[in-house]
Amino acid sequence: MTGRRTTANERVRRLLSVVPWIVARDGPRVDEVCERFGMTRAQLLDDLQIVFLVGLFPFTPDQLIDVVIEDDRVWIRLADYFAEPMRLTPDQGFQIVAAGAGLLSVPGSDPDGPLARAIAKLAAVLGVDADDVQIDLGEAEPLVLGSLRTAVADRRPVQLDYHTFGRDVRGVRVVEPHRLSARDGAWYLEGFCRSAGAPRVFRIDRIDSVEVLDEVLETPIHARSTDPGAPYVPAADEPRILLELDAEAAWVVEQYPVDAVEDLGNGRRTVRLGVSGEAWLERLLLRLGPHGRLVEVEAPLDPMVASRAAERILRRYETSSSGD
Amino acid sequence: MSRTKVERLLNLTAALRSTRRPLTRDEILQRVPGYPDDPESARRAFERDKDELRSMGVPIRVEGLAATSAEQVAYRIVPEEYVLADPGLDAEELTALQLAANAVKLDGVGGHEAFWKLGVESPGPDAPVDPVAHLRTDPRLEPLFGGIAEHHSVTFRYGDVDRTLEPHRIDFRNGHWYVSGHDVGRGEGRVFRVDRIDGDVRVERDRAFEPPVAPHPGLVDPPWRFGGDAAVTVDLVVDADRAAWAERHFGGDAVRARTPEGTQFAVEVSNLAAFRSFVLMFLDRAEIVAPPAVRDDLVAWLRASLDGSWS
Repeated sequence: MTGRRTTANERVRRLLSVVPWIVARDGPRVDEVCERFGMTRAQLLDDLQIVFLVGLFPFTPDQLIDVVIEDDRVWIRLADYFAEPMRLTPDQGFQIVAAGAGLLSVPGSDPDGPLARAIAKLAAVLGVDADDVQIDLGEAEPLVLGSLRTAVADRRPVQLDYHTFGRDVRGVRVVEPHRLSARDGAWYLEGFCRSAGAPRVFRIDRIDSVEVLDEVLETPIHARSTDPGAPYVPAADEPRILLELDAEAAWVVEQYPVDAVEDLGNGRRTVRLGVSGEAWLERLLLRLGPHGRLVEVEAPLDPMVASRAAERILRRYETSSSGD
Repeated sequence: MSRTKVERLLNLTAALRSTRRPLTRDEILQRVPGYPDDPESARRAFERDKDELRSMGVPIRVEGLAATSAEQVAYRIVPEEYVLADPGLDAEELTALQLAANAVKLDGVGGHEAFWKLGVESPGPDAPVDPVAHLRTDPRLEPLFGGIAEHHSVTFRYGDVDRTLEPHRIDFRNGHWYVSGHDVGRGEGRVFRVDRIDGDVRVERDRAFEPPVAPHPGLVDPPWRFGGDAAVTVDLVVDADRAAWAERHFGGDAVRARTPEGTQFAVEVSNLAAFRSFVLMFLDRAEIVAPPAVRDDLVAWLRASLDGSWS
């Protein structure tokens, strides 16, 4: 907050919280107030200078707010109209309820614990039901998530049974875990993959099982490489494809990071996007079906991947018969 | 300059907060120092101040006669609307809330103001808590939540149609926000994806609704159960090495049999397109067994694609 000029709006909002807090106490220390509201001493004293000038018509001394600073403590009196904190605005209410609902949705959280009780009480004051806001941070097996949390906390490597989606292969990886986080509806584990010899990000819903190894890691767990808040961006060296999409296939643009979109009218468009693996491209094209056409494919991708995948699936259906 | 404005906004709040009867604009301009002498400039400055205080959540009430003439309108702040009702949180509960706010970051929503009001200590700069989750937010969530809290209808444009919704709940799933409630125009429950709302959401303060007896259940179902097709139970086999992944999505209740080759699932489906799309994620490691119509639909889809798209 320091180093930047605070706007009038921010100062008023802050004062409407600071004043009731001081009024309710018997002379809190100046540094106590500063610490609580994240202000410097100079900022607080400057704000209190303004409060000296606030009051009611005709602004005779008995109608002005009384601010006393003595022995590094501060008292505020004659401010009945600012004695209580202001109600929560809808965005503030939403912020707290959503954060609480998000954390409560994490497997292993206590549905009757202090957080759940706090959200229920707050929701009642806000006029909503505690379950009017539901947050699903992403699919995660409680057992898998639990083991990974233990591993991160205890700095132990893990052995993962992992499904590499882009290449559709399943295999065992040994990973030094750095952190767990959820974004855009999925959980991720970031860590150093010993099998690959490089930092990697793993989607937790593609981990079938976790074994926490006995070894204790020496390297600090804080060696972080990626910003967990940043959405997935395809690597620059991933091969690109150019797709022509019908209106029905608009979900591609929403679901995947695309390099470029060109509108062709009537809801049709072309998009250019990066491909992380052949199986990923197969799935995309199969799901698009008649609503998407592959216009250009960069090497080493094979333009025939989807046809071959479709034929593989059809062969399975042809060699077996329907169940009834 | 900023100082005089802060002073004026606080004095305006004090005047409106302490008056027993609503004050007209002229009365306010007499009682609150700092407004320009020129009546027109003073009027404009007052309007700006009023809007600014409202944007901070200060509930300024407009009372008096119909607003045909500005002079007949009067303003005040009533305690019931201004004061935070004490939720009665104990220390443990306050700490839990603070932890949650540090762990689950709503992008674009910031500030500790809500926690100041509730009496939570602000986190010291030396105590960074690793966020567990980042949620992208949308500015339209605020009016939607306001509508839920105050039982006011909201209006917005969605799919080229103007909608009036009695909002019941908000869901976050698969990285998207959804609002559900009673669609007044259609006379039925609906779910809308918030990022697909076209433009702003307006809270219609004069269109209150009764708290719903049976609130919309929201987005409780996976995509293949979220649609208008007649519900069918689909038998699906998933190869053993992909079965765990499938089970995470269908749930353990859907498992009918486990064999060394694979797992059989019985899945309730009311959106065939969404189900087909999901089954194709397994490539050739899954197979729809029954009913024949659903099985044939997938085969036909693949054949149509082979003929049309990829050659």
